[in-house]
Amino acid sequence: MLKLAIYGKGGIGKSTTTSNLAAAFTRLGKKVIQIGCDPKADSTINLLGGNPVQPVMDYLREFDEEPETIGQIAKEGFGGVLCIETGGPTPGLGCAGRGIITTFSLLEELELFETYKPDVVLYDVLGDVVCGGFAAPIREGYASEILIVTSGEKMALYAANNIKTAVDHFEDRGYASVKGILLNRRNVENEREKVEAFAKENGLPILADIPRSDDIIRYEDQGMTVIEGDETLAISQVYMELAKTLLEEEDV
Amino acid sequence: MKQVAGLISTYSSDEFGICSALYELGGMVVMHDASGCNSTYTTHDEPRWYDMDSMIYISAISEMEAVMGDDDKLIHDLIETGTELKPEFIAVVGAPIPYMIGTDLSAIASITEQETGIPCFGFAANGMHHYTKGISMALLAIADRFCTKKWKKTDEISVNLLGVTPLDFSLNGSVDSIKSWILQEGMTVNSCFAMGSSLEEIKMAGRAHVNLVLSYGGLAAAKLLEQRFGIPYVVGVPYGRQYADQLASQLRQAAWTGKSVVSYQKETKRAHSDYAIIGESIACASLATAIEMECDVKIKVLTPVDTEHVLLRKQDRKTPDEDDLIEQLQSVQGVIADPMYQALWSKDSGFYTLPHEAFSGRMYDAVNPDLINRSIR
Repeated sequence: MLKLAIYGKGGIGKSTTTSNLAAAFTRLGKKVIQIGCDPKADSTINLLGGNPVQPVMDYLREFDEEPETIGQIAKEGFGGVLCIETGGPTPGLGCAGRGIITTFSLLEELELFETYKPDVVLYDVLGDVVCGGFAAPIREGYASEILIVTSGEKMALYAANNIKTAVDHFEDRGYASVKGILLNRRNVENEREKVEAFAKENGLPILADIPRSDDIIRYEDQGMTVIEGDETLAISQVYMELAKTLLEEEDV
Repeated sequence: MKQVAGLISTYSSDEFGICSALYELGGMVVMHDASGCNSTYTTHDEPRWYDMDSMIYISAISEMEAVMGDDDKLIHDLIETGTELKPEFIAVVGAPIPYMIGTDLSAIASITEQETGIPCFGFAANGMHHYTKGISMALLAIADRFCTKKWKKTDEISVNLLGVTPLDFSLNGSVDSIKSWILQEGMTVNSCFAMGSSLEEIKMAGRAHVNLVLSYGGLAAAKLLEQRFGIPYVVGVPYGRQYADQLASQLRQAAWTGKSVVSYQKETKRAHSDYAIIGESIACASLATAIEMECDVKIKVLTPVDTEHVLLRKQDRKTPDEDDLIEQLQSVQGVIADPMYQALWSKDSGFYTLPHEAFSGRMYDAVNPDLINRSIR
């Protein structure tokens, strides 16, 4: 089973990348689960035609008890991707990080992996590793590898560095390690060179170079990924190639 | 209202269930909690505290350690104390504060084990679940880690007792009575998880022919031992004379056939329950069955703590909240329960006290009867 956590600066395109990657995996015949780990709960919306799944935290708030089946907190989207969103507490209250851990414990109790038997699990994680909760997806038993999404912008690279440092700090805990960088272009000057310099400094490969594309925005407006919209597009092929690379390396 | 107890007490927590299950096994158990929180356990939930030594500690987590997520002090203390005391194992037990800040107790245990070479466990308790869950996770972890060797079976039928702690069985002689009953029935006790057996004895669990699951806390370990060694399990507590005889017969049968069974699962002819009994599901369903076999009544079990559907009979109910209990008690003429449940009983008569350590602590120890293998009537 390929279990990946996708981290990166807020707004850098993690959810877009994750959803397109999920869609690409399904096109390659794989069974996929995508878990959005962000209180905004918008990770999977473009796999669901714009009709979001009820986040786990919302379910707990509404029913005041834990769900008894996965079906109560998950929805199948494009290509059969099982979409789950942790959601979070009422903005300004509670603890969003704790919400992620609670969701993971719940999914474990519901034996999600044992019953659904996915080939690929993708964790789309909010911005930085700001506290214990946001490191939960990389703990033992969850993601085994991390992909960092960044552009050549200074603050995106700064966040990427913070993530790498946080992950290195957990080296003796058996947590996931960083597999590589996904360059999501914002068309800044010397973008490739800047990201290459960061990657080299940290000994990481650049696994994909994703060009800025109006097609992504166009299809997102219709509640879908570019893979769903038009698989033949050049941008779609970038995600397809990335999915193939990741599968080949893991021999899934 | 859900998750509200306005009239009654609450059960001992998962944190204390773990401590209770591990108390006699020679391990170092560390509650990762604020200083003082261990007094709840030692004062109310652990009747062995003043008479039997055990390495139960509290980490005394401070406000700043919690805010900063500083695990290093705990890891340092675990390594230093573990190296000095050389316990059989080290268990780090979660509590509300580490739960809220998402402390990774498994990772802390893993680092401590790497440094000390002592087997370490991280238990993700949070102080908000019931003791039943704590006992279950502790005994499962012990069985998983230490019961790995396959042993030659003894000639006579030998039995492991699973799910035994003072939280369910008090120190009123019940556990000794269960062991005597096993011997009286021509079988032997191989080990007891976890009162009166050393860790070395527990390691030899694979030698037994059959496991007797005496509370919910023993079920997960029983399933693991069944899977690992093919040892079947029988669920039930030998209350009353007739029911104890039936249970002994089922133990022998399971040892012979290799098939696990919940001993009290039988349909009764009467539709309406006359009485209710409140508490842990296996103990209560066993007692209810024992009484039904000796008296002409029907009794339903109301269980506010963890259980599984298979452990309940047709008329039994899960009653997680106070309101559920109040509703269920409306329709019966009597109830058997811990004295602290009297607050929910509005009738003038019909309340029969049966103290439960996990609910009222040591308050009623002096009047807690041993009902093992003796006539209920």
